[in-house]
Amino acid sequence: MATVTNWIDHLSAKEVVGAVYPGAGSTETLLVILGLVFWIGWHVITNKSESEKLSRLARKRRGANDHKSNITDW
Amino acid sequence: MTDQLGALTTIFTEFYYWVTVVMMFLIHVGFCVYEVGVSRYKHHQHTLMKNTLVIPLVTVTWFFFGWWIYWAFPTGPGIAPSIMNDSAALITDESTFSAKWYLANSEFMAINLGDRISGVFWAAFLLFSWTAASIVSGAIIERITTFAFGILAIAIGSFFWVIDAAWGWHFDGWMLKILGYHDAYASGVIHAIAGGFALGVLIVLGPRIGKFSSSGEPRNIGPRNPWLVTIGLFLIYTGFWGFYAACNIPIFDLGPEYGMEGVTYWTATNIYITPTTLSGITFNFLMSLSGGLLAGYVVAKGDPFWTYSSGLAGIICASAGNDLYHPIQAMLIGAIGVVIAYKMHFWVERKFKIDDAVGAVAVHGYAGFAGLVICGFVLNGYPSSGYSVGAMWDGSTYASINPLGQFLGAIIMFGVLGMLPGYVIAKILNGMGKLRIPREVEIAGLDYEIMEDDRDAEKAVASSTR
Repeated sequence: MATVTNWIDHLSAKEVVGAVYPGAGSTETLLVILGLVFWIGWHVITNKSESEKLSRLARKRRGANDHKSNITDW
Repeated sequence: MTDQLGALTTIFTEFYYWVTVVMMFLIHVGFCVYEVGVSRYKHHQHTLMKNTLVIPLVTVTWFFFGWWIYWAFPTGPGIAPSIMNDSAALITDESTFSAKWYLANSEFMAINLGDRISGVFWAAFLLFSWTAASIVSGAIIERITTFAFGILAIAIGSFFWVIDAAWGWHFDGWMLKILGYHDAYASGVIHAIAGGFALGVLIVLGPRIGKFSSSGEPRNIGPRNPWLVTIGLFLIYTGFWGFYAACNIPIFDLGPEYGMEGVTYWTATNIYITPTTLSGITFNFLMSLSGGLLAGYVVAKGDPFWTYSSGLAGIICASAGNDLYHPIQAMLIGAIGVVIAYKMHFWVERKFKIDDAVGAVAVHGYAGFAGLVICGFVLNGYPSSGYSVGAMWDGSTYASINPLGQFLGAIIMFGVLGMLPGYVIAKILNGMGKLRIPREVEIAGLDYEIMEDDRDAEKAVASSTR
């Protein structure tokens, strides 16, 4: 996975390769796919949990000032 | 980097943009603080969290596709040819400024010893994207779902504003060539579009419960914590200052860039690569801020919330031409923008029953729109670019700045790329039942369960101390 194993060799090469992250040149597309799955998955998960939370709270039909009884002192 | 002078210039530019990014982070801190200050107690935590999520959501999508759009779309596509490859297609060829290098899987979208500018430049634009999304966030507090806001934030922050930046901010943008569009510090490119987008969403979203009486008279739901509002807006001013610096190129030799043989002219430039100075824009930033504050104090009769917001509106209105204005012009333009924004806010609120909780449509949208139009008159005849000067509608050369081009540009920013997409996306989300929280939740407060849990936890702690 290591793209660089010796900095002296790397920087003294005739043409220095700029990309030095692990997996350079071979893993970028896979990383993008993983990133997209992570991002879209986040929306799916949070959408579900938010819908459940809003439905639960809506069913309780609290009044506009009921939250005041929940104010903590310290 | 093989010679010392080249290395110094490169590292200086890299560091310059990095500093502006850190400064601009304060804009987002300011928006968070400000929104909490405006919202009611029972919605505080949700309001804060909603705006905080702008950071990760816009950042990852900006990485995946936003930055690519900026470099790919200057030609429209299909509207005006690029000066780099004479093609009106998307710019995805092998040229230096091609979008090809900014695909998410490009080796330049990472640590690369051969590229010391892409990351900091990417981040500077990303911070602009956060701002665009945050502007929308304030207007719609206390009744939108986090899911819907996330979609809307991505739409404005990583898609629509980037299109307008490619069209009207990129040195190769078709709006410069055909319309002579000029918007140095983003009256339209960020503010008018975000204000317009917020208005489009608000039309569908509707007002907060109780905002209007049964006869339609608007009621004031004022800021609940004026101190947080004050701190928030002062932080936004500070970050905005960093934004001005981020819109400049700090050091550039325009001689060879413009093809002037034997001429060397090192200067700071604006985003269009025409000359300006950090010194000059500092004059204008502060004078337009002052013009806005002074005018705001008068029209709002000393109301702190609107006076502070007016400082921001003043800068926004003058921003289109603050690379060239005289400071007194900047001050007066800032003042004019504030009067227009303030009057428009209350007229629209009363006439169309639009509940803009923080005045974002006014401060960003109307002031930005007005700033573009005013710029067309005050800078009429200046070249919109240094590369070549041509006639309006030509497309292959750059038109001069003019009132009609600026007016059309303002409509594109506020209406076409702002209000229209905001309205359409909100309609879709509303049709899915995902836009607005249930009425019962809005009445109870979005934080109800968190507060209830905190109370129970407190009781448990208190009982253990007896």
